[in-house]
Amino acid sequence: MEKEKIVLEIPYGTRDFLPDEAAGKRVIENQLADLFAKWGYHEVVTPTMEYLDTLTMGNGRSLEPHMFKFFDKNNRTVALRHEMTTPIARLVSSRLKDRAMPLKLSYISNVYRYEQTQTGRQCEFYQAGVELMGSSSAAADAEILALAVRGLLRSGLKDFRICLGQVEFVNGIMEQYQLTSKMKEEIKRSIEKRDLVGLDELVDSLEIPLNAKDCLKKIPLLHGNEDMLKSAYEMALNAQSRRALDNLSEIFALLESYGVGRYVAFDLGMIRDFNYYTGMVFEAYTPGLGFPLCGGGRYDHMLSDFGNACPATGFAIGIERILLALERQGIEKPASAKDVFVAYHEGKIAEAITQAEELRAGGNVVELSLSPQTEVEARACQKEMGYKKLVYIA
Amino acid sequence: MNAENMEYLTIALPKGKLFKLSAGLLEKIGYEAEGLSEKSRKLVISNEEKKIRFIITKTADVPTYVEYGAADIGIIGKDVLMESGKDVYELLDLGFGRCHLMMAVPKSECRERLSDYAHTRVATKFPRIAEMFFTQQGMQMEYIKLNGSIELGPIVGLSESIVDIVETGTTLKENDLEEIAHIMDATARLIANRVSFKMKFGRIGAMVKDLRAILESEAGICES
Repeated sequence: MEKEKIVLEIPYGTRDFLPDEAAGKRVIENQLADLFAKWGYHEVVTPTMEYLDTLTMGNGRSLEPHMFKFFDKNNRTVALRHEMTTPIARLVSSRLKDRAMPLKLSYISNVYRYEQTQTGRQCEFYQAGVELMGSSSAAADAEILALAVRGLLRSGLKDFRICLGQVEFVNGIMEQYQLTSKMKEEIKRSIEKRDLVGLDELVDSLEIPLNAKDCLKKIPLLHGNEDMLKSAYEMALNAQSRRALDNLSEIFALLESYGVGRYVAFDLGMIRDFNYYTGMVFEAYTPGLGFPLCGGGRYDHMLSDFGNACPATGFAIGIERILLALERQGIEKPASAKDVFVAYHEGKIAEAITQAEELRAGGNVVELSLSPQTEVEARACQKEMGYKKLVYIA
Repeated sequence: MNAENMEYLTIALPKGKLFKLSAGLLEKIGYEAEGLSEKSRKLVISNEEKKIRFIITKTADVPTYVEYGAADIGIIGKDVLMESGKDVYELLDLGFGRCHLMMAVPKSECRERLSDYAHTRVATKFPRIAEMFFTQQGMQMEYIKLNGSIELGPIVGLSESIVDIVETGTTLKENDLEEIAHIMDATARLIANRVSFKMKFGRIGAMVKDLRAILESEAGICES
């Protein structure tokens, strides 16, 4: 009988990046890191694990079932970070508390969510993103949106769309009527999930005026350009929801100045999964990928949960999703360069090393042969490994 | 949804009893294609002029095609949709294909209270919905997943009860089964992929509007 084969498994939801894949990932990360730096965002690195209490402070409870949790040696519960916004809010509320605002921070990190793996997302996945702390202005939100668009363009994507919403629009409409907070949650959930059938049932069960019912039922389909936004003013609104629309108009005008308005559509039914958002929210989509590429929004209350009231806005881009979208859309990832193969005759290794070092210092990607070769052998080797040039020391 | 598919709207339709009704309803709003039939050997049927593509799949697969964006929209029973647990947008109750999901036991084995069945075996095609239901009742059950002829379970001693869909109740009667708990009502639903909904909102939004108008006018006829 055949000997039992050893299967070298890796844990569910994790993956290896082979050289080509890792190179593709690195190129995109470098592009984004460079872009974020050019916009004045400073990179921070936080621990992979945090205390569970920190990650769930405020509104993180809903994600707790999806966190990887374990105990430290004092039996405190520790969790792997499930996103970067909370750790950065923790950082800003502690060690960066006294820095001058606004603070502009960026990150490129792996995060962990225990969930069924789906397209372009494993349980461990990579995100690049920014957080802008200390400004509640529309200019801050517009900067975040414009930077997201620039980030997607820098990654190589050409065809994508940003859908922009404002959570205060829905909140404002519901605020006018005496609804229980449970009912509000359920209505918001069915709007976000675009469960129009469930929403109709919920709204019909309420004792509110007919025009208010129509208004709530219409929200998930309020999608479109500036004309749609203008027509939304005609719905039954209070000051809060009207302010939300004003806010979107103001942000959009600034996006036009950035020259990125054409990538943006409005979607007033967008609330996003996290319930910590307090203002504008957005997601980016691209053809060929059934899931969002990028998402973000304003979250003014999270830092006050950490005892440091401070408005904030930001976004995260899914690196693997970008890679997948590029692949599906047939866009070439920039290949890593292979410039020179240095080979040498018996006894000439010292000269070859000097030569290789000089070429590397000159900015070339250089591979040095590890054993002496004839010129014919060296030529064949160079071709096989895909180097543009051969330098042979005879 | 491939890049070249941006101009097409891909619709997934389930084989079986919902097929005819779905195709008929879509035809009324101008969504049709030559040779669109359940018996078609072609798996993808296109209408080049109107930029529509139909795919015909096994019922339980419709939510999967839509979740991944291989189809932009689909028509599927609420029972199958809920059992799938897929993350798709549910845009419209189409009203047809009405049935309900229930628990039934052999007439001779009826127990006094529902909770008397705790820790017994239940045969079902819908283990996920069944578990949600029993969990809400505070009951633990042993779920036996079957793919058809569920009512056979109690007869041959595979299970104490069944959870299944019922339209007329004839099958239950023929097998001496009695409904003891109503779990949920179900009808056909129009579902959409969450990205398609946004990238192709113009077409999908118009489609919802048109379908709504048709359904309302038909409901009006029924009432009068």
